[in-house]
Amino acid sequence: MEDNKKKSTPPKKRADKGPNQRLRQRTAVLIILILVVGFGATLLRLSFLTMVQGSELQEKAVNQQLSDTVLTAKRGSIYDAKGTTLAESASVWQVVLAPINFTNDEQRQAAAKGLSEILGLDYENVLEKTKQQNYYTVVKRKIEVEQRDKVIELQEKLTKDYDCGAVIQLLDDYKRYYPKDDLASCVIGFTGADEQGLEGVEYKYDDYLSGTPGRIVTAKNARGTNMPFQFEQNVESQDGNNIYLTIDEGIQSICEKHMAQAIIDNNVLNRGVCIAMDVNTGAILAMVTANGYNLNDPYTLPTDTQLKIKELPEKEQDAEESKSLAAMWRNKCVADTYMPGSVFKMCTASMALEEGKITDSSRFTCGGYMRVEDYDIGCSVTSGHGTQTFLESFCHSCNPAFIQIGQLVGIDKFRDYYTAFGFSEKSGIDLPGEADDSFWPEGEMGMVDLAVASFGQNFNITPLSMITACAAVCNGGYVLQPYVVSKITDSHGNVIKTMEKKVKRQVISNETSKKMCDMLAAYPEANGASGGYVAGYKTGGKTGTSEKIGVEKKQSSFEKDYISSFCGIAPTDDPQIALLVFLDTPDGGAYYGSQIAAPIFINIMTELLPYLEIKTDYSDEDLAYLNVSMGDYTTLSVDEALKKAEADGFIATVVGSGSTVLSQIPTVSNQVAAGSSVVLYTEGNQPEKVTVPSFIGCAAYEANSVALEAGVNVSYNGAVSAGGVAVAQSIAEGAEVSRGTVISVTFAANTSEGNSD
Amino acid sequence: MAPNRKLLYKGDVNRIYDDEYKAEQSAKKEKLFIRPTRQRKMKNAKWFAIGMGIDLPFCIILLILLTIGTIMMFSASYAFAYYTQNDSYYFLIRQLIFIAVGVFVMGVMSFFNYNKLHKIAPLVLGIAYVCLLIVLVLPAGDGGVRRWIPLGMFNIQPSEIAKFAVILFFAHWASKYYDKMQLAKFSVLPGVIVFGSIAMLLILEPHYSGIVIIGMLTVLMLYIGGMKTKYLLIGGVILVGLVLVLAVTGGLSYAMSRMDGWGQALEYTTEEMWQTTWQTRNSLYAIGSGGLWGLGLGQSRQKYLYLPEPQNDFIFAIVVEELGLIGAAIILLIFALLVWRGITLSLRSKDKFGKLLGIGLTSQIGIQVVLNILVITDWLPNTGISLPFFSYGGSSLIMLLAQMGIVLSISRTANIERQ
Repeated sequence: MEDNKKKSTPPKKRADKGPNQRLRQRTAVLIILILVVGFGATLLRLSFLTMVQGSELQEKAVNQQLSDTVLTAKRGSIYDAKGTTLAESASVWQVVLAPINFTNDEQRQAAAKGLSEILGLDYENVLEKTKQQNYYTVVKRKIEVEQRDKVIELQEKLTKDYDCGAVIQLLDDYKRYYPKDDLASCVIGFTGADEQGLEGVEYKYDDYLSGTPGRIVTAKNARGTNMPFQFEQNVESQDGNNIYLTIDEGIQSICEKHMAQAIIDNNVLNRGVCIAMDVNTGAILAMVTANGYNLNDPYTLPTDTQLKIKELPEKEQDAEESKSLAAMWRNKCVADTYMPGSVFKMCTASMALEEGKITDSSRFTCGGYMRVEDYDIGCSVTSGHGTQTFLESFCHSCNPAFIQIGQLVGIDKFRDYYTAFGFSEKSGIDLPGEADDSFWPEGEMGMVDLAVASFGQNFNITPLSMITACAAVCNGGYVLQPYVVSKITDSHGNVIKTMEKKVKRQVISNETSKKMCDMLAAYPEANGASGGYVAGYKTGGKTGTSEKIGVEKKQSSFEKDYISSFCGIAPTDDPQIALLVFLDTPDGGAYYGSQIAAPIFINIMTELLPYLEIKTDYSDEDLAYLNVSMGDYTTLSVDEALKKAEADGFIATVVGSGSTVLSQIPTVSNQVAAGSSVVLYTEGNQPEKVTVPSFIGCAAYEANSVALEAGVNVSYNGAVSAGGVAVAQSIAEGAEVSRGTVISVTFAANTSEGNSD
Repeated sequence: MAPNRKLLYKGDVNRIYDDEYKAEQSAKKEKLFIRPTRQRKMKNAKWFAIGMGIDLPFCIILLILLTIGTIMMFSASYAFAYYTQNDSYYFLIRQLIFIAVGVFVMGVMSFFNYNKLHKIAPLVLGIAYVCLLIVLVLPAGDGGVRRWIPLGMFNIQPSEIAKFAVILFFAHWASKYYDKMQLAKFSVLPGVIVFGSIAMLLILEPHYSGIVIIGMLTVLMLYIGGMKTKYLLIGGVILVGLVLVLAVTGGLSYAMSRMDGWGQALEYTTEEMWQTTWQTRNSLYAIGSGGLWGLGLGQSRQKYLYLPEPQNDFIFAIVVEELGLIGAAIILLIFALLVWRGITLSLRSKDKFGKLLGIGLTSQIGIQVVLNILVITDWLPNTGISLPFFSYGGSSLIMLLAQMGIVLSISRTANIERQ
């Protein structure tokens, strides 16, 4: 090698520093500089960019390369149990821009001007959007057909004049409609601007309803046209699933109608609740928070609330408005708690029965009050109920008796049952915002607490858990998980999920439950209309009037604020449905559950039970006041007509001297009281006029004689039997009507007597 | 021009110079074209034999790079070609023609006796000056810069010629006055004069990256030519000072305008800056998108007009996007091998001129690769530096291949693996 040769030459010392050696050294330095330092730096930099910053850079690259068009998925519909549409999404459009494709300001200004005019937007604002460097900027969403057509015209005009029409795109969008406005508003809920569920089922089942938005992902070159190869990817949007509620529109509207009326009649200050539950499955058939709100316009408060807010100082208005909105949207049935009051006695009674503390010879004495430790706890009847059987105690709703029954059960067992009935846990209903109960903590419950808890005071539970417990009391002891959604189907109608009845546990035995049904049935029997007696049906229930304790500011004009409630079942021999009604802070004439809640129960049940096709079972008394159908006596000869009317039980009067009946009042099929009169006309006479008498305050048995005396007929309505009195008549007193005209008279529980709680 | 031996240092060192001088003299006596004799071929019938044939490893590495480079150039350019020229093969076809011409020139040059360049080195430098002057009187091209002399089918870039001329001239100068290179007036002075004058002309074009590369080549040639290290250090200090002065006076306005966006390509500040840094940003996007394994050959998305002129200076960004870090590293490795082989074979050249010329020409490749990649990765300001064998461009490719031909010619006479 040349190296060796050189090294072996004598002037070794100098050779080391010789020019050739120096060249080699310097070349080595050069190689290090270029290959190690230079190439090393480049490799380092490339590694950093690809491995460390890679994903970030790639994302940015993809963002600029891909034109991403979102295909909105159609949100699923919500149906009631029978398939009636409660919520659906209708097609509208959204206007989007791909502003990167504008090439000059002239185009931008023209587009911004046109769009701002059509869509009623601020010109500067739209112009700002046209200046962005991206492929997808939403200008306006949810535009309707008229605006869409104008946008299409604008597109054509821009294409012609400025060659930029394609920058504006119209994409599918959807808008939520609620055909029944405020029906079941607390259950259904509503959606926000992006169709996201905000309340109720819309919120809870948002994942099912919303579907999966699709995308058209197209690779674009920097000029905005498609890259010339397989770079387009379409992900179809997947429409949301449809939801079928357990709520039945028929039942729901019956409940809402009567609740709304009750709110007005009793001047209820804090809204009311009504829940109807299938006691055998836990399915919610109706859930009312009265008054509801219009789901199509959820951000508008009732007029009176708006006026109240306007009176406030300007600073507080916004806060007050959002507070009022939240209160309006709040589903009182699950999100609020209340003291169940005497309604809870059905649970206390169940415990005592199940624990075998009650025998046939059990007697409970009431002296008008009961002393527990240092407290005197009063009964509603200050003179006392005397000595009562267990059943009598229940029917009297006697507090001292139930204090004694509670003491028989004992604190520990009472707590165990309280938990077993499901009061201390969330019911697990598929609705958002369920509230927790508030009960005495373990070890802090004393005898006084037990005493008041026995009749439902001083602890708070949700209305929903009360009706769930009521269902357990009557359905054989099974605590069920309540639910409002029965099934979910995909957009093609295939069932993807079915909710089944879910039994959490059995809290009392079938026998105890059976006995409880009899007790609940006995309550209306004993108390008539103020106990929720529904003519023709075996209903059972319990009233409740609970004092509101710990309210910040008393609202009503009574001494205290009250919650009046009624919880009942039907039919008692084979329980199908449980119904809880409560009014929070009534400020009308009365506040007792028996006075104001029981009538609602009766009114709802009277309509609801025929709707559910529950078979009627009239008592003798009921039968006496049953309406009958007016027969058809026209075209018959006078003799025949009289004979037939007598056979039908009507008192017939013939007017005119013809031989054939030409017309009759009341006309055929009219519902009238048995023993009504019918006027048969044999000539074309003008009907005789009579004056309508007053029926108000009459008992049912009096009404018909008043009517006969005045020459009119009555048709019974409402709580006719069990001591109901007439509270309304369809034609006002003093009006001139034809003889025989039918006047519909409504009876209600007599509020002046029998305040048994 | 025999070195005046009387001026040499006294002593034993003369013997070494004698050896080299004799080698030089004998080489000069050879013919214009080297024609290996049959006998030598038979005797050294080795593939890698030097002294009779070209250095095959160097040649093979070069051809591999050229092949990869052409494939990548096609991949990077076809979308751009499709949109701008309406013909996806526009750049490929032209590049293939340039390669054909270039490889032919390289072949011819490999037979050319590079020692003949010794004499004409000053002449080549002169031609470079002429070209640099001509370009200044031609009408300005895009952006008011004058860098190209149009010659029908392709353009000549005078700075490319200047790069070669500088390497050649200093190889000539340093081998001629190797003994005096220690003196400032034989190293620093010619360096300052040649580089200074060329730099002045390039500033007028302006072509700052050309100045940087020619500056680096001048220093490199003087360094390996034997200049004292202390001058290098002094030069470095002066350079830093000069840049500072220019920066203050605003003389670097054009370069500064390009440097403005340096290092901030990814952050949006102003619309103008966003546009200025467009190319660098999209280069970074491309590189980042590549990841470890790349998107696959031909799968680049950034070449769809996002990265302007992807076939030119920023081609390597597309290479990384398609072939990933792995592919980039392999290509860098091949470049490194080429530089390594080129420098080592040059070192074994029989004469000083060959050594210096070979090292200079190969180093130029390495320097350009490093600078190019640092530019596309935003570690250096965006100033057109092409990537050898990859970037599209006729004159620079032919020039490069001709230079590689000279290295091959040097390899014929080098005694690499002679034994």
